[in-house]
Amino acid sequence: MAIINYSSREIQFKIVYYGPALCGKTSNLIYIHQQVNRENKGDLVSLATAADRTLFFDFLPLNAAAIQGFKARFQLYTVPGQVMYNATRQLVLRSTDGIVFVADSQWDKMEENVESFRNLQENLAKQNTSLDQIPYVLQYNKRDMDNVAPRHYLEYLFNNRRVRMPSFEAVATTGKGVFPALNTIGRILLYKLSSQNGLKNQTPAPARQPAPSLA
Amino acid sequence: MEMIPVLTIQDVAEIDDSLATYLEQSEASLAIVIDKGGNILSQHGDLDVGDAVIVAALAAGSFAATKELARRIGEQEFSALYNQGATSHIFMQAVDEETILVTVFGGNTTIGLVRFYSTRASQQLAATMRNIRTRPKDTGFAFDANAVMQAGSLFKR
Repeated sequence: MAIINYSSREIQFKIVYYGPALCGKTSNLIYIHQQVNRENKGDLVSLATAADRTLFFDFLPLNAAAIQGFKARFQLYTVPGQVMYNATRQLVLRSTDGIVFVADSQWDKMEENVESFRNLQENLAKQNTSLDQIPYVLQYNKRDMDNVAPRHYLEYLFNNRRVRMPSFEAVATTGKGVFPALNTIGRILLYKLSSQNGLKNQTPAPARQPAPSLA
Repeated sequence: MEMIPVLTIQDVAEIDDSLATYLEQSEASLAIVIDKGGNILSQHGDLDVGDAVIVAALAAGSFAATKELARRIGEQEFSALYNQGATSHIFMQAVDEETILVTVFGGNTTIGLVRFYSTRASQQLAATMRNIRTRPKDTGFAFDANAVMQAGSLFKR
């Protein structure tokens, strides 16, 4: 859940990139890390195997534009996509505010995509939540490959819930679709915060009492 | 357990007060209070020892992974973890179900001292967290949705 810190005037969000193995989750974070200016990012931490397969998670902290005097901090995580790491995916999904589901657009990856999407919903259910409660966007990656499914087919598979979510075609290695997906999930989270707390022009709550002296 | 949605200035001051006392008694370098999602609730001490944001994320991941290990051997969780380095060490203690106290310390103190005072500090922090979580949720906080839309691109390149 997003944390609002009046002391530091910050709001922290956690976004998880989820999807099957080798779909481009880490590639998203690598591109974002390369593009964001130095003042607004931390180090990209990758807990991976020697073969560059995500073992635990990738992590990238980002600062976003300030809104109404509050700095928005986004913590981006990826999960390991390989099937055997499901326990780890459950750990990384804890306290998630938003999800970017990355699908590999190639026809021969479709079964893995569907299984990963189902796995996401199962893991959220274990944490007593669901895609009805956690905002998400869909990213159809690897659109530059030869044998890719048409967008409408991917929409049919993944964007057929009661509420249709924003979706983006992407080539994460070149950056296409990376920032549109990230900006959109960021805005949804910020907007959700405003809706949840009442869409009124209120000033932020002051401290309940003057802060005690620490001397 | 309820997540923490809002930390007021007073909440952070109370936490900082506990951390300041803890660092003074234990002679540790840095203390960070995080939730189990890896978010920093407060930090106190020598911030040059490392990027606190990344330490928090890794500590939360490490704690979560060892909790699973504990479950596999019949324990509910390991309430404390100690990682020993050549000159710097990390001690992590569960404050409550959702909060962890992470301590970074060097050779000027001992794990015994850190562990002793960490237990005390955790009890104080647990009481603070309990008050925060059980407080009525009306925060008075609101974003103007227009401000979100007018912010332009959120991430500067």
